[in-house]
Amino acid sequence: MKNISRRDFLYGSAAFITTTLSVSPFPAIAKNWKSLSGPTDIRGKILKGDAPEQLWKWSHEGFLYSKLDNHKVICGICPHRCLLAPGDRSVCLSRVNIDGTLYSLTYGNPCAVHVDPMEKKPLFHFMPNTKAFSIAAAGCNMRCLNCQNWEISQAKPHEVRHVELFPADVVSAAKRSGSQSIAYTYTEPITFFEYMIDTAKIARENGIYNVLISAGYINRAPLLELCKVLDAANVNLKSFSDEIYLKLNGAHLSPVLNTFKTLHNQKVHFEITNLVVPGYVDDADMAKQMCEWILKNLGPNYPLHFLRFFPKYKLDRLPPTPISTLTHFRELAMKEGIRYVYVGNVPDHEGNNTYCHHCGQLLIKRNGYFIPTYNLEKNRCKFCKTIIPGVWEEPEKREPYGLRITDIPEVRDPPRMIDRQILNTSG
Amino acid sequence: MKRNNDRAVIRVVVFTGISALVTQLLIVRECIAQFQGNEFVIALTLFNWLILGGVGNRLARWIDQRWLPATASRLALVSLFLAALPVFEIYAIRCLRDVVFIHGSSVGFYSILLFILLACLPYGLMIGFALPYSLFTLKHRASGYPGTLIYMMDNAGNVAGGILFSFVLIYLVSPFQAILVVNLPLLATGWLLFPPPDRRRPVFYLVLCMPFIILVSGILFETASLTPAEGELAYYKDSRYGRITVHKNQELYTLFEDGSPVFSTQNIAVAEETVHYPLSQIEYPRCMLFISAQGQMMTEVEKHGLKTVDYVELNPEITSVLFKFGLIRDIPGVINVIHQDGRSYLANTDKIYDAIIVNLPEPTTFQINRFFTDRFFSLVKRHLRENGILSFSTQGFDNYLSEPQRQKLSSLFNTVSGYFKHVLMLPGQKIFFLCKDQPISMNIPELLSQKGIHTRYISNYYYGNLTQDRISQLNEQMDLSTPKNADMSPHLIKIMFFQWFEKHSTSPKGFIIGVIILCGIYLIKIRREEFVLFSTGCTTMGSEILVIFAVQIFFGYIYSQIGLIVTIFLGGLFPGAWLGSRWQGNKKQLLGWIDGMLIGLMLTFILAVQFGGVRLPLVFFLVFGLFSSLGCGCQFPLALSLMGDNHSAAARSFSADLIGAAFGTLLTSAILIPIFGIIWAAWGLIGLKCLSILITQTGHEKYQQT
Repeated sequence: MKNISRRDFLYGSAAFITTTLSVSPFPAIAKNWKSLSGPTDIRGKILKGDAPEQLWKWSHEGFLYSKLDNHKVICGICPHRCLLAPGDRSVCLSRVNIDGTLYSLTYGNPCAVHVDPMEKKPLFHFMPNTKAFSIAAAGCNMRCLNCQNWEISQAKPHEVRHVELFPADVVSAAKRSGSQSIAYTYTEPITFFEYMIDTAKIARENGIYNVLISAGYINRAPLLELCKVLDAANVNLKSFSDEIYLKLNGAHLSPVLNTFKTLHNQKVHFEITNLVVPGYVDDADMAKQMCEWILKNLGPNYPLHFLRFFPKYKLDRLPPTPISTLTHFRELAMKEGIRYVYVGNVPDHEGNNTYCHHCGQLLIKRNGYFIPTYNLEKNRCKFCKTIIPGVWEEPEKREPYGLRITDIPEVRDPPRMIDRQILNTSG
Repeated sequence: MKRNNDRAVIRVVVFTGISALVTQLLIVRECIAQFQGNEFVIALTLFNWLILGGVGNRLARWIDQRWLPATASRLALVSLFLAALPVFEIYAIRCLRDVVFIHGSSVGFYSILLFILLACLPYGLMIGFALPYSLFTLKHRASGYPGTLIYMMDNAGNVAGGILFSFVLIYLVSPFQAILVVNLPLLATGWLLFPPPDRRRPVFYLVLCMPFIILVSGILFETASLTPAEGELAYYKDSRYGRITVHKNQELYTLFEDGSPVFSTQNIAVAEETVHYPLSQIEYPRCMLFISAQGQMMTEVEKHGLKTVDYVELNPEITSVLFKFGLIRDIPGVINVIHQDGRSYLANTDKIYDAIIVNLPEPTTFQINRFFTDRFFSLVKRHLRENGILSFSTQGFDNYLSEPQRQKLSSLFNTVSGYFKHVLMLPGQKIFFLCKDQPISMNIPELLSQKGIHTRYISNYYYGNLTQDRISQLNEQMDLSTPKNADMSPHLIKIMFFQWFEKHSTSPKGFIIGVIILCGIYLIKIRREEFVLFSTGCTTMGSEILVIFAVQIFFGYIYSQIGLIVTIFLGGLFPGAWLGSRWQGNKKQLLGWIDGMLIGLMLTFILAVQFGGVRLPLVFFLVFGLFSSLGCGCQFPLALSLMGDNHSAAARSFSADLIGAAFGTLLTSAILIPIFGIIWAAWGLIGLKCLSILITQTGHEKYQQT
């Protein structure tokens, strides 16, 4: 073999470097991280043998489940359809099989109780400027990486502090707080279905509205049952891609879409929220497809909220959503034909207000939770008399937000934790 | 000729030492940028690195004896391979992170441990392999070649690498440029190990050319490898204190520090809360201090008409980027930017303020924890006017206060309550602590309205988000029995450690049990002299970490001082090893005496820290570090000599030293300090050394005297 000269060596090296370096793989890869990176399915798992040995005071037999051979049961509440052997705990962490019977462990033991403005849910077309008595129990059937309430949604019922409020007590407490509605919220209310539906029935008998704030991952049968007592819902459509649903939320898209169809068919007022997560849900084409589906299957009247993302929980290495992206999505959705499109988590944005879809006049101006301008007469636009979809009540002078919750009976701590009361009810 | 070859091998050892140390620092920094930027990640990275090094040491002996006996040519190939490997190593950590884990998500302890272990595997093993393999190359030529000399040369390389990186490269070049700079000499010296006739063959040019191309390629792809999936990379700089990148997505600029978004241009809620909650409580604030600030805060501050706003930021790169991209607004004549550690600034200034706002990330690191301790609050109190206010914040919660967070808030509440008569916590995206000696009003919108200040977020959302009920629930849930957070006993770090595990639904128990079992198996298999090296490696690394923490507590985070400490702890090894190799007396006895000296040093450290505190001069810590590393360096040749100084002894000694250092790192920073505090951590290391004395001085093995 002939020895190479110094010049040949330098020329060869330079050529090699030049050709190698002209191919830069990184930008191309970076743009496709969302499909390339990490696990593709983060759905929760059934916890084998994790059920408590004994039931506690806040246990209640499951509403809709099937008994199988060998004392196994199948939960029928959500699309996971957990097949539980005796001693197993469901994906949602709050249901267990004890000797062949399915029990919910979240009946009368909410871990979060607050009075919130209805606009905070967000529900913009339902009883504006009223208060919602909001409750949540531990557990969730999804595994959203950006969960705002992961401390309770990803916890088992015995791991969190709770108050004792059985269904009738919830209704009484809601009345005392001056709330017109009870909101089942914060975690996933579907997982405390029995507690929610029993409370909702009593609430309805007492003239209090029931509001569901959910990710909508529920089977048709329990949803139909719930619709009988439900007045409004806000369902989070987390993205319009099954791939992203599995990756970021641990669930499938289609059951959520079915939930929207059922609510629509049952004539329950609902609003749709879509959290615009940068790099995942900020795809304009996907937003357009979502709007097309909404128009085709639900019509133009259901309000759609595009919410701004902030780094949270495990999804904490992404930047917030640019406001212009939300503005663009709002314009896009309205151009597609959706009549009421809002922008959330952005103070002072035009997308916080309601404009008549017919005459374009400002109907409701929202400064945060305040409504300085209200141009509806009952359910009609004051200017052109067009019916505005929603459940409306003239906002009168109501008590300001911030009333205290009083007379909550008892505080229960998880066995191994603290011995202090979390709610001081004296003041 | 033979002597020339020996020198060539020694040169390879020195340059490998330089390259290894710089690569180690770069890997630690890359891991911090890709994962959580806390001491646990540093400890995990060093632990994996040192363990792999220890395994590599053992592999070298096995390969030399059974497969490929060490020769100069083979060592040359190893060197060339080692020179190119750091490029792949850093790219692997940087790029595989988003392949293995979900883009944008944080990762739990076990996933980080496994990822770093696998990512560091090739280089860690190779670097551990290279050192004894170099020695075997020399020993095959002259069986009596002293292993200590290789140890000393490696240490010399490490010291040079540490100094070069900490005081030169970090200021001047990017990570991949640093890799090129430190590996070119290794490439050259490795190449020169080939016999001259071989060096003229084309295939050998290719062997040299490939690593060189890889090294250059690393630089050219560097910026591209940081391109975000969302938007574009507007700015990138690896500063002394970490990686700073600015991402531009549409009109939004977000500043990332070590991979986490910290400031963005459109976060009005946090800006208003941070500024107006405290300033609304002061009728006519004139002079205030920000310890770190972010987007839109200065715009809000301006509404209060202050005369002076001192803004302290440790990292000058951060402020330059904040101003450059409009992440913070300058108010000419009002804002006074001070580039200094906030705590160090307060300790050295006489200024008195109406308000001090601490706007720092969560206290997940010891460095940040210093701004949430009793001593810091006492320092702040001395710089506040009679009716002045302190405000700081920590991560908030939406609807439920979890138990670890309740403990964290309780600890903070109990700590700060010792210095202020009134402490109010306001819930929200962040929980704000307002601390004052006069009563604090909860009705912030009303206070702002009285001052004629208009806000976009507080005026419209406060009453709905911060109901009296939510505020009362939070303040009434404080557990008064939770320990206070102190510099020497950082209770918050412990809580944050467990909160981290809870967030990822895991527990540290499995890891701790696994480490104890592995450690137990290893300790059963090693000889007494190896245990001395193991325990000394453990104690010296532990001491280094204790000194770094103590210096940060007393002097603030001063980059050059930390670099100096690390260098001193490496610097004593070389003269120590030289002294040990020249000792002609009873080696076993001297081992015991040195153990005793290390115990004495640690006792001095405890007494000095307990009773000297802030009065201690920096030179105390430097002298402590120098003597600790002298002792450590001195013991190596003694133990090696007692073990026979053959192939096996050399590999085992190198392993024991590295594995001991690995355990020392992990034990001290991840377990002893967070759980027991600095003083008890030092006592723990004393206990280990006492065990070492007991084992060596009570044994009756026959030593192979050389």
